[in-house]
Amino acid sequence: MKLYDVKLLTITCEILAQKNVIEILKNHDITGYTTYEVEGNGAKGLRGQGFKNEKNVKVEVVMREEKLSGVVEDISRTLFPDFAIILYVSDVGVVRTEKF
Amino acid sequence: MDILQLIQSNLLTPIVLFFLFGIIAARIKSDLKMPEAISEFLPIYLLAAIGLHGGIEMRKTGFEEMLVPMLVAIGLSLLFTLNHYQILRRLGKFNIFDSYALASTYGAVGAVTFSVGLSFLKNQGVTSEGYLAAILAVLEPVAFILAIFLTNMAVSKQIRTKKQSISDDEELDIGMKQTKTKLSQVLKESITGKAIVILLGSIVIGYIIGKEGFEPISIVFDELFTGAIVIFMIEMGIIAGQRLEDIKKVGIFLTSFSIIIPTINGIIGVLVSTALGLSLGGAVMFGLLLASASFIAAPAVLRHAIPQANPSLYITSALGITFPYNIIVLLPIMFTISTWVHGEEAIDLFNYVAKVFI
Repeated sequence: MKLYDVKLLTITCEILAQKNVIEILKNHDITGYTTYEVEGNGAKGLRGQGFKNEKNVKVEVVMREEKLSGVVEDISRTLFPDFAIILYVSDVGVVRTEKF
Repeated sequence: MDILQLIQSNLLTPIVLFFLFGIIAARIKSDLKMPEAISEFLPIYLLAAIGLHGGIEMRKTGFEEMLVPMLVAIGLSLLFTLNHYQILRRLGKFNIFDSYALASTYGAVGAVTFSVGLSFLKNQGVTSEGYLAAILAVLEPVAFILAIFLTNMAVSKQIRTKKQSISDDEELDIGMKQTKTKLSQVLKESITGKAIVILLGSIVIGYIIGKEGFEPISIVFDELFTGAIVIFMIEMGIIAGQRLEDIKKVGIFLTSFSIIIPTINGIIGVLVSTALGLSLGGAVMFGLLLASASFIAAPAVLRHAIPQANPSLYITSALGITFPYNIIVLLPIMFTISTWVHGEEAIDLFNYVAKVFI
């Protein structure tokens, strides 16, 4: 089986930043992503208790390497200053590269 | 009844006791927690009940009566928001973003506070005008829209002065465009937001079905109302309890702001609405609309519109300080004032005061 190299971008952020993240993905013509609600502790303190609006969310996006730096740049520029957010990139392999 | 006596008896109602119980549960680090589905369901239920009730009452009274109080409420809400901003910015030395966010949080209305007010009146055996539910719906986005508009103005002014030296028009245009889309987006989102949709929908349905149509569902939407608030109060208490440490970070200025401002706004509301001819209970609810701060809708709106503002400031002060103060202390105060200005004693009292001074 042949695996093709692509990038997995994982963004963990407050749920109210999710819309902004997805908007940025859309601007880069990325429509596929997976989100799930998560809890955790970080620089902004324990998150995920109380109101739904204060939960955290994890967004996973698989994309080709050439799109990665544009997306990461946009997220860093617009969301890092004001939101509870971290992101990291990992190398993953996929079978059907045409999907990304 | 004496104000203190009324506060004391208000303290011993299930709503307040369960709220305090929730705080204690959070403080002893109990794992007591409302299931998520229930804490999302209850606000919707409360708004539906408020809307139905309002719609039925409006069928009796018609729309004309509502117009003046509604316009006055909108005017006062805008005025108060501007006033809060000046106080926070000049006296409190908060930055523009925090000032506007807090100003609109306190200019906006709290639906949960409104529900507690209704059940407080029920407890006292007093009714209020049904159209107040419609005012609640209209008032919800008003303060936010003003604050977001003014924040955007301030930001684009800053951009403009910065750009004047370089005269790079293109980027400025982009900035202005973004500002405009943000505002219309907020407007659209708050009008189609779940709180306003369920509230307006229930008002319309209540208006259509009337008293007879309400009969078969009254067991859910009338008799269970106070009980549902009580369950919701446990959740509110737990969340407020978890935030108790944050109150220290809020500071003395904002803490006193979150107590003094609602008191002033609420009392002005009671007096103005009495002058407009609202009933004893209606004046209390009108005052409560102006006194309450938003803590469920506010973060959702402000986090997008003014992301630079620190959310823990406006959530903690609205939920941790103003909400308990409003339902425990301010409600009885406003009720007493409303009783004074509505009752015969009031006239005597004014005459008495007048006599003393003349």
